[in-house]
Amino acid sequence: MPPRAVSDHGVIAPHDPTPDPSKVAGQAGASAAPAPESAEVAASASARVSAPDPDADAPGAAARGEAVLSLEAVGAGYDERLALHGVSFAARPGDRIAVLGPNGGGKTTLFRVILGELSARTGRVDRSGDVAVVPQTERSRLDFPVSALDVVLMGTIAGRAWWRGPRRADREAGREALAAVGLEDRASTTFGALSGGQRQRVMVARALVRRARVLLLDEPYRGLDTRSAARLDELIVELAGRGHALLIATHDVSQARAWDQVLCLNGGQVAFGPPATTLTPQVLAATYGGELLRVGPDGELAVVAEHHCG
Amino acid sequence: MLEPFTLPFVQQGLREILLLSVGAGVLGTWIVLRGLAFYAHGVAAATFPGLVLAAGLGFAGPLGALGVALLFAAAVGRLAARGERGDHSTLTAMVLVGALALGVVLASDVFPLATTVNSLLFGSLLVIADRDLVIAAVTSVVVLGASLALGTRWLAVGFDREGSRALGVGAGVPDAVLLVLVALVAVSTLTAVGSLLAAAIMVIPAATTRPWVQRMGRWQVATVLLTALEGVAALWLSARTNAPPGATLAVLAGAAFALSVLARAVAHRRRDRTSRGASLDLSQSPAGAVARG
Repeated sequence: MPPRAVSDHGVIAPHDPTPDPSKVAGQAGASAAPAPESAEVAASASARVSAPDPDADAPGAAARGEAVLSLEAVGAGYDERLALHGVSFAARPGDRIAVLGPNGGGKTTLFRVILGELSARTGRVDRSGDVAVVPQTERSRLDFPVSALDVVLMGTIAGRAWWRGPRRADREAGREALAAVGLEDRASTTFGALSGGQRQRVMVARALVRRARVLLLDEPYRGLDTRSAARLDELIVELAGRGHALLIATHDVSQARAWDQVLCLNGGQVAFGPPATTLTPQVLAATYGGELLRVGPDGELAVVAEHHCG
Repeated sequence: MLEPFTLPFVQQGLREILLLSVGAGVLGTWIVLRGLAFYAHGVAAATFPGLVLAAGLGFAGPLGALGVALLFAAAVGRLAARGERGDHSTLTAMVLVGALALGVVLASDVFPLATTVNSLLFGSLLVIADRDLVIAAVTSVVVLGASLALGTRWLAVGFDREGSRALGVGAGVPDAVLLVLVALVAVSTLTAVGSLLAAAIMVIPAATTRPWVQRMGRWQVATVLLTALEGVAALWLSARTNAPPGATLAVLAGAAFALSVLARAVAHRRRDRTSRGASLDLSQSPAGAVARG
């Protein structure tokens, strides 16, 4: 009970233990009529969020076991004001959790709290395994004289005494991590000479080499071309299949629909649950506020693209 | 041709430059990689009043220089720790100018040292004492050891600071050690190139070799070799022509750097030309479909 109860904190989502998948599927079409009414209709018809049986939603979820990360009523901030409040959710092995929200919505703050860089002012964070972050590759230096393996080995530094360089075992672990992301043949390529998608995967390998069970991906699709994005999709499925819990910060709502859970943040937690039942027009409106557009013949909701960093 | 190297004072200079080139070359790569070139220049220049004070009051010059250099390192380190990134350069420039002015005033008005100012500012590679050799050797050993122990951390923090913090790699102590090491190497190069030309041996060789190597280890070896080569050539030239050795070394290093940049530009242009030919070929194939996303 405790890990699932957290989705009850979803502010908007009404509680209904029996979501109806057929109605959910019609949600986008239902919002074709003028905006406000249709949003309510769609919400009342299909937005029965929270606490569905995990088995119904993601096959094999029951076998995935205990949560590797759980947050309860977490609040955090940099000054007197809380940048983030009321965050409660749990991640189990194999969960792919989309973290949606506008810039300044608290995604970065949440990641820093989960990493332990920022302590939670309220609530509780329980980690039962190492957490690693995959930062945006544009923050790293492409002009550095380092190979892909050198970058991966940066993930092993914290586990060593300060005077030690990488040992043989570290190098082997580094090569394994590169193999896990399909880059075993690029170990000695200079990092800056790799493509954007390959650099992204090197950063994933750097997180994997720490044997982290929870991976935080910070806007991993930003700047990737279609092929690299498809390759990243596959990698995310593979990683989840190997039992990692993934939190993926993204702006792409349609992408979030393909994953297991979605966490909507806008200063606080707006909703958490399976995307099919969670991503209602109401929730999206509360998450993104004025940054929402209605596009296409079916009046589908779209998030206005943001070009600045959060 | 090689007869200058039979002179004992040239041989002494040769030993000094070879010992220095290890520490200065290895640390130079870190200085260039971590963007500390101006700091390196500043810390070396700031030692000038320390040298003047030491000469005037009659205590060991390197001691006075090291004291001022460590003060300077501590100030910059505190600024960096407070997270005020970016505009250290203004403050560094002000301290640099202030230190030079203070040194000149001390040398001309407080102590009768006007004649030695020249060698304090530009070095005296042909007047090397055994004490200088010891300092150079110790400095090189310390730099080598620190680079082996802390190199991966210096690299990780420079590569992506926030990511490193998330990986549990703290920047504080390793970066403070780096700043202190730069101060130490600056002090050890003073007798060779003086307060004002330290960059010629600490920064320029590493910047010269940088475009040609893509790995840290190879870059360090190449930089040590180049530093030694430039030092030996400068000694020979200055012994032959009676030019001041520090300035000769700086001119040689600058010329090598210009050559390196030029050669790199030529190589790039040649590569661009070949790759442009290749991409023209590509554009004629029906590859447009890839861009649908």
